[in-house]
Amino acid sequence: MHSDVAISVKNLTKTYRIFGHPGDRIKQFFSLGLRQYHREFTALKDVSLEIRKGETVGIIGRNGAGKSTLLQAICGIIKPTSGMVQVKGRISALLELGAGFNPEFTGRENIYFQGAIMGLSRKQMNERLADIMDFAGIAEFIDQPVRTFSSGMFVRLAFSVAVHIEPDILIVDEALGVGDAEFQERSISRMKAMQRDGATIIFVSHSIPSIRNFCRRAVWLEQGEMLQSGGAGDVCLAYQEAIDTRLGNETRYQLSRTQSGKVHPSGVERTISIIDTKIDKTRVPVGTSLTFHINLHFSNAYSPDTEFGLGLIIRDDGGKLVAVFNTVRDDLALTGSIQHVRLTVPSSGFIPGRYWVSVNVCDQNALFPYDEVDRCLYFEVPNELSRQGIPRWEGEVACEHAWHW
Amino acid sequence: MSTKTLNPLRISADIWHNRYLLGQLIKRDVLLRYRGAMFGILWIFLSPLLMLTIFAFIFGQVFQTRWPQQNNSLPFWLLLYSGLITFNIFAEAVSRAPTSVRGYPSFVKKIIFPVHILPLVPLGAGLVHAAFNFLLLLAALTWVGGLHLQILLFPLLLLPVLLLALGFSWFMAAWGVFIKDMTQIVPMFVQMLMFVSPVFYPVSAVPTALRPLYQYNPLGTVIEATRAVVSGQPIEWSAWLIALVCCLVVSILGHAFFQHSREEFADAL
Repeated sequence: MHSDVAISVKNLTKTYRIFGHPGDRIKQFFSLGLRQYHREFTALKDVSLEIRKGETVGIIGRNGAGKSTLLQAICGIIKPTSGMVQVKGRISALLELGAGFNPEFTGRENIYFQGAIMGLSRKQMNERLADIMDFAGIAEFIDQPVRTFSSGMFVRLAFSVAVHIEPDILIVDEALGVGDAEFQERSISRMKAMQRDGATIIFVSHSIPSIRNFCRRAVWLEQGEMLQSGGAGDVCLAYQEAIDTRLGNETRYQLSRTQSGKVHPSGVERTISIIDTKIDKTRVPVGTSLTFHINLHFSNAYSPDTEFGLGLIIRDDGGKLVAVFNTVRDDLALTGSIQHVRLTVPSSGFIPGRYWVSVNVCDQNALFPYDEVDRCLYFEVPNELSRQGIPRWEGEVACEHAWHW
Repeated sequence: MSTKTLNPLRISADIWHNRYLLGQLIKRDVLLRYRGAMFGILWIFLSPLLMLTIFAFIFGQVFQTRWPQQNNSLPFWLLLYSGLITFNIFAEAVSRAPTSVRGYPSFVKKIIFPVHILPLVPLGAGLVHAAFNFLLLLAALTWVGGLHLQILLFPLLLLPVLLLALGFSWFMAAWGVFIKDMTQIVPMFVQMLMFVSPVFYPVSAVPTALRPLYQYNPLGTVIEATRAVVSGQPIEWSAWLIALVCCLVVSILGHAFFQHSREEFADAL
């Protein structure tokens, strides 16, 4: 192992034996491998990874991708089925909130106990006690049993102890999610300070922005295998795209279901029906143009002098209404058998994210719909990154702007 | 982290290295038992005192039991009590060993922790209780006027029992992780062991035909030896030394077995 390597993982594979019944483990033990009483589950497949001293590496992946198993193997908590893990330096790991804390004991007692686990004497902990309490912001509750703590206080205390024992390697697994925004910010800046002091940090999170902002390198695990390892920006982008594709597929599936026909469920032919909708592109960077095409069909019952309206409703990921475009609202009157309608947005100002479009055709007062198609179109607005890796757009609107000085 | 070694010096060095953590764990264990109780830590003294009082009353006043083939002046209940102190160290350690690791899954799975010191915690707690029992014994001996200087050997004589308890604790703790039934089985066997060991009677009261069997129980040897120092009788050092060696071997094997199976703990819990 190179002298500047802090963690070296070589061809790590971890297979769990899953026993259906506790007694099967004993049978397995006595059968000396002649019979199998268990199923096997491979949590990690041939993962190799080298982390240099002072590096900050983010690990991303879906639930069950093997992130926690990898961390456990690095900590030496589980034994690899094959492969090798070598670690240089003292590890402080926050794998699960409050693991190693005893709820019956006070905050102070637990602080000393955590220190003892990490090999710090009472005297060494005395020197750090004030800092730990201060950082966690729980000084007034320090002599209360930990079970009375709120989960926020708990995570603050656990994190505070973990960073104040000055580890060579800090491993944080999703633990910060519980704290409030103010504490998350403080813990990030504390970790950044540790980065500067040369600590090696492994950071697991579902939050792509925090990985991108905080880590230089990232590793993407998928079903126990390492899909990609490299610069945090690249890996996060690829990961985000994979998620989007998966969601996109789900959306297309939804479309075929919700697309209505020319005939109303009651059996009567619709007077006006939407037979096709199109969007010119599905990736719409902020400020670029966007065009929607809607094809209509008119039944014999339609009299050509009837006015009607056409509308688009755009919703974001969470179903929140983002924009409404409607001819009635725009004081336009459509008449006659117009088969093709086009809507253009010359410079779109949607904030980065994913959007779904519903189309409807209604009477002249927008009172009842002739036809409506829910979530028939989809587009997404990609974020842009500054040179420092900070997302360019955030908030509610992304509008054209200029700086003058 | 896991040290696989048969060298008793290295095992001891490793435990010594973790002494502060072990001390904290034992302290937690003992304190947690009495925390929240109205008399609190006072129970550590109250419960053996109550037990000794009842022994004195039942065996001294009601049954007026006499120690078989008694050739000394000490009352039955005191001799019984001194044997019980020794036995209880072993009993507390081994009965609780099956849960000593199983009871702390987060120490095994979630944090970096020297798991092999966990089975030592019940033994440590047993020793703390034994220390209070011993103080009480000294007080009782002074009261009946049977205090000898030889009693100072008592703690030293316990060494084989400690090693034996250590070895069994490691074994039972490892088995306890894989087989939950151990938590039921072991205390039962320990209870039976109490009657098989010369706690309520001296080996000399056992029928001659069975007596050789008793030589193979190091626990019995130590109980006899500790009782001898209490009553001021000569100690059979050769038997004690043999017991010491046997117990040392048991403890080393227990440690080896524990360290061997520890790799599977995280998977089993």
